[in-house]
Amino acid sequence: MADHRTHRVVLRPIGVEVRVRPGEPLKDALFEQGVEFPCGGQGRCRGCRIQVLEGSAGVNAAQQERLSSDELAAGWRLACQCVADSDLVIELRQWDSAILSDESSFAFTPRPGLGVAVDVGTTTIVAQLVKLASGRVLAVRTALNSQARQGADVMSRLQFALSAAGRRELEGLIRRQIGALIAQLLFAANAQADQVRDVVLVGNTVMHHLFCGINVEPLSHYPFISGGDGLQVLSAGQLSWKLPADTRVRFLPGLGGFVGSDILAGLLATGVGESKDAVGLIDLGTNGEIVIGNRDRILCASTAAGPAFEGARISMGMRACTGAISEVTIENGKPRCHVLGNTRPAGICGSGLVDAVAAGLDLGVIAPSGRFANGGSAWQLCAGVALTQKDVRELQLAKAAIASGLVMLRERWGGADPARLYLAGAFGNYVNRTSARRIGLIDYQPDQVEPAGNTALLGAKLALFSRDGENGSYTRLRSRVEHVSLSSDPHFQDVFVEQLGFTENIGAFVNARHEESIYEHPGRT
Amino acid sequence: MSTLDELKEVIINGNAPAAKRLTEAALNQGTRPGDFFAGAIIPAMDEVGRRMRECEFFIPEVLIAARAARASTEILKPLLAGDSSVRPAGTVVCGTIKGDLHDIGKNIVAMMLEGAGFRIVDLGVDVGPEKLVDAVRREGADFVALSALLTTTMVNMKGAIEALIAAGLRQQVKVMVGGAPVTESWAQSIGADGYGKDAPAAVELARRFIAEAARGMSAARRGAA
Ligand code: B12
Ligand code: FES
Repeated sequence: MADHRTHRVVLRPIGVEVRVRPGEPLKDALFEQGVEFPCGGQGRCRGCRIQVLEGSAGVNAAQQERLSSDELAAGWRLACQCVADSDLVIELRQWDSAILSDESSFAFTPRPGLGVAVDVGTTTIVAQLVKLASGRVLAVRTALNSQARQGADVMSRLQFALSAAGRRELEGLIRRQIGALIAQLLFAANAQADQVRDVVLVGNTVMHHLFCGINVEPLSHYPFISGGDGLQVLSAGQLSWKLPADTRVRFLPGLGGFVGSDILAGLLATGVGESKDAVGLIDLGTNGEIVIGNRDRILCASTAAGPAFEGARISMGMRACTGAISEVTIENGKPRCHVLGNTRPAGICGSGLVDAVAAGLDLGVIAPSGRFANGGSAWQLCAGVALTQKDVRELQLAKAAIASGLVMLRERWGGADPARLYLAGAFGNYVNRTSARRIGLIDYQPDQVEPAGNTALLGAKLALFSRDGENGSYTRLRSRVEHVSLSSDPHFQDVFVEQLGFTENIGAFVNARHEESIYEHPGRT
Repeated sequence: MSTLDELKEVIINGNAPAAKRLTEAALNQGTRPGDFFAGAIIPAMDEVGRRMRECEFFIPEVLIAARAARASTEILKPLLAGDSSVRPAGTVVCGTIKGDLHDIGKNIVAMMLEGAGFRIVDLGVDVGPEKLVDAVRREGADFVALSALLTTTMVNMKGAIEALIAAGLRQQVKVMVGGAPVTESWAQSIGADGYGKDAPAAVELARRFIAEAARGMSAARRGAA
């Protein structure tokens, strides 16, 4: 029986149905389906456009400003700005436009059949079924990586895979799971297995090795160089997938160290390797990869920020889903929390955490050192959710890791500083750029920073169509990449300690007293 | 406030130039070099450890405090060279385990132990069993402090302890281990003598080992009588 207190929203083309309460923003429900909100849902970028095919959804001032009257009349809305007034059928254009948009310089080669692009994340896997003739997305599936039961982070999984039995187990888990996801995609799109021509996977170096069955031992210790991170071409038959046995399955190559093909895909998606001027790309995930490059030279590094931005190791931390505080602003000298799904707050996600600390700094609740100014051990953000001193410390570690990686890569780059930074990944989409700057996570003006969405998936999709990728080996692009190992740079620690505080002043404070390094570096000279 | 009390304060606050000045002033007033430790430096670093544990101090504050303590000990060291009544609480050989280059935690542990009056031999990062064994033998170490930050390198701690056994040095030293992925039960399973969750714990462990050894010795003496 229909529930009269909720509206039914059907999403085309993927055929998923979600329910929203009257007055609940569509944004939260769609976010859970993997829809991206490039400007963080502020109604500025038009990246979240949907077309209402049946039912009605309100128009507000932001939409009137950003959409033409023709567009509005044709049912176009900004998903981040509208609320369902009735049951709805809507069409998502986001997944198509990225490939087909006129702005992209990308060489699109139409061909018959279907392709599958998969972003194999350590935590989440996203797979899309794409029509190779038009680039249209026919279906999307998201799942938690089934290897996660053997460890949340890459190092724990590596550890598990050091035994032959462990490695076989993880390999089997991920291969079966992606096979099953592809079957679901085909079912959802009502398509046949023999239409699938090509499968492209991207992921970090550990995911690459575990999927392809490559020895992970060299990745488990210094200097973390595997040598086996090149393009891997397998067949569906080898993987026992329910596709024609000779269907080509490619796992794209990595860029060195832990920096994998998800970042290579990010380069393809954002065009870092073709740009005349230097640009940056940062993936604010657990491994915190950073790239600076232009068409001549590309530098990359990973900073091991840890999972704080995903809400892990934070006392009331949680993923960005219903019940999570995703935004904190200041109103009348007090923090005001926005909760995903407009329900009672159950915890706080990464973007909320960054906002909360930025607000705490602005309100003087948090001192520049990170200490609560009143000496307390917790700060109540709203009924039921508090931030502890330890949470602030965890955030300091994570943000300092990213910030020092960026500082050091900029130093190494030497030339003109990148004027533009792309943020990859879900957190990058959601984090408020002013807050990110306030806490010293990204020392760039908000308008120089551009959320670029799931660039790994987008790049994987581009690789399905690409003519210039030398069949996926990207030898030319990779030959321009230099992997910078931060671990072996003795200077890292001083920069890191400098970046732990919340103003430039803390660095100045440390340096003013000690001209030379605060550390001695035994064994590192 | 006495000069030593003032010195303690400025060390806690990380003011190295003031620590240097006050150390010189106290020496001029006739304070004996050996009295600075119990009178200022050790209590200051104990207080730093306490504040760190309370989350009041974070890495930068701890580092600049340790730095200030060092500004003082640097002046005292040459003066103590001839004084056999003042000896370090013990010698600690420390390092980050083989395969691992994370050393911020290890450095803090070393600084706190130094502040507590121990002599530190820091082997740096990526320390393999041979290097460890050599240093323990050469330096006549009493304690070994090993750090690991990676799930995959912490297993190498086991190899380090085995190498100490093979070299016949295991009885000579107490081994403590720590670092984010390390746990109490892991420490026990590899036969370490202690696990510390933070840098102050390293100091507590070292002091406990000394107390236990003293008790063991007096028990042995009673047994012999
Ligand atoms: C800074 C950092 C780095 C820096 C290291 C700089 C340096 N010179 O140390 C850089 C960027 C180079 C780096 C590189 C890597 N890192 Co890193 N890194 C971190 C980070 C952000 C902070 C670690 C830290 O310094 N903490 C602060 C210190 C003070 O804490 P601590 O070390 O735990 O020490 C305290 C206690 O543990 C204790 N203690 C420590 N040792 C001892 C010893 C004894 C005897 C005792 C009693 C106590 C004790 O006392 C200390 C003070 O209280 C963490 C993530 C995080 N948010 O914690 C990841 C993290 C440790 N890194 C990680 C990884 C995977 C890596 C890399 C392999 C990956 C990569 N991206 O390249 C490389 C490998 C480097 C190498 N060769 O070893 C993972 C480990 C995951 C796991 N399960 O193993 C973490 C947890 C991040 C993550 N989740 O992905 N990293
Ligand atoms: S306009 Fe909706 S996310 Fe940017």
